Amino acid sequence: MHIRDGILGPEVCVAAAVLSAGAVAYSLRRLRVDLEDRAVPLTGMMAAMVFAAQMVNFPLLGLPVSGHLLGGVLAAVILGPWAGCLAIAMVLIVQAVLFSDGGLLSLGANILNMGVVGAWGGYAVYAALRRLLGNGTAATVSAAVIAAWLSVLAAAALFCFEFGLSSNATDFDPRGVFTLMVVYHALIGVGEALITGSVLAFVLSRRADLVPSPAPIGRVREVGRFVVAGLVASLAVAALLAPFKSERPDGLDAVSQRIGFAELEQERPPLLLGDYEIPLPFAGWWSVSLAGLLGTVVVFTGAVVLGGVARWQANRLTLADGSDG
Amino acid sequence: MADPGSVPRTSETRSPDESVCHALPSGAKLALTLLAILSAGLIPLELWPAQGLLLAAVFTGLSLAGVTLRYLARRLALFLPLLFVFGLSIPVASGDSLAWNWTVSLWLRCTVSFLAGLWLIHVLPFRELLALLRRWHFPVVFVAMLGFMYRYVFILWDELRRLRNARDARDFGGGSRWRQWSTSAQMIGLLLLRAMERAERTHRAMLARGWDGSVRSLDDAS
Repeated sequence: MHIRDGILGPEVCVAAAVLSAGAVAYSLRRLRVDLEDRAVPLTGMMAAMVFAAQMVNFPLLGLPVSGHLLGGVLAAVILGPWAGCLAIAMVLIVQAVLFSDGGLLSLGANILNMGVVGAWGGYAVYAALRRLLGNGTAATVSAAVIAAWLSVLAAAALFCFEFGLSSNATDFDPRGVFTLMVVYHALIGVGEALITGSVLAFVLSRRADLVPSPAPIGRVREVGRFVVAGLVASLAVAALLAPFKSERPDGLDAVSQRIGFAELEQERPPLLLGDYEIPLPFAGWWSVSLAGLLGTVVVFTGAVVLGGVARWQANRLTLADGSDG
Repeated sequence: MADPGSVPRTSETRSPDESVCHALPSGAKLALTLLAILSAGLIPLELWPAQGLLLAAVFTGLSLAGVTLRYLARRLALFLPLLFVFGLSIPVASGDSLAWNWTVSLWLRCTVSFLAGLWLIHVLPFRELLALLRRWHFPVVFVAMLGFMYRYVFILWDELRRLRNARDARDFGGGSRWRQWSTSAQMIGLLLLRAMERAERTHRAMLARGWDGSVRSLDDAS
């Protein structure tokens, strides 16, 4: 998940760094309003917690590899999007500077993909879903599960976009990498979604007061939140649909062929739409849709099941008169 | 990722072996590293001797800083296989002969950048980095949070190790996949609860000592 130095072009890294610096600065400003004097201890502790929690390995069912929590949505659900974004940014900084995990120059891109998309975007999806699903325990867990899955896929799509923009990638067809990335991240996203849901269900059963409802905000901001949520969802869908572009000419191409533009744009660089075949048996377009379909089924089942478990646990603890307090 | 049982060696836990590289001003350390990574990214494959020179320079820096070959080999053994597979995926997937050029230059670029990053984490203690950020007028609150996080990472690590020991003592580290999954999730949940309670406790202690939300450092007083 962490982008290493040398994979993205330097100019893309710089642009991503500028964007994420802006996002971090904006988060800092909003945070002072939200948390006041508790900002430093709460955010710092959350960052330390996410960092430590990433050391816990989860067996992926039936596979020899294991996954771990990324934590963007979890942090944002507990502390809000601003502190969540800062916490993930700090985790990435410490990992890069102290443990050489993820690049230094590509730190900005990492913060953009995981911190901004993960915490801001994930929280927007979560808050929008909470509006639709209500305030129950099951609704909270289900919303977080879906938000985590979408945010990981959106991050993968954003990486593909950054990779396509890098000057390094102009002289060949990067679609093979895209396919692998999306399949791989569909898997990671399922893990992230289920871990986030399980952890949140546990927290809700012990201390539901730690998980606040999304604060009511003004109408304009509400619209903005829905726009961000829609953006994340469509990025995720784009990741799953991107390989289909190779199957037939898209709308513009079809039109230009009919009218006769086609000769005019011979020099178009094959950035995203080159016409190569992918001979890898596991990297065909169908593998992406299969992974996407399976992932969606697993995530939605997980959302329902974990939501049910969380509600059951909450009821049981209430019946036991909160003895576990 | 590393096992929380063994706290990784960082620039803090290592003995303060003074070398030429450690004595450099901290801004120069950061600038040199970024310069190396940037030039590794900008050198085209046709100029591979330059890339080789850069690699040699970074390697010299590492040996001057007293990094042992054994440490280097261990880090590279974790890093190179992933890079190898990623680089290979393009020519294999697209069957394009141009892609091989790209793959080779990717391997070179990434290895040089990784080694430069290793040099930095070896010679720049985190405390020095925080001081540097403060000097460069990064937002004070952000630097304070970063310092706070760094202080508590190791404490929460110990907390996690205790939780894991308790779990292993109860189920001998076995159980079905499903059970492993749910205990791991509970462990993170418990860690989260304890971290938040610790944050609330720490916040009260800070209030008792006059915390008003603004950060003052000793540098301001002088």
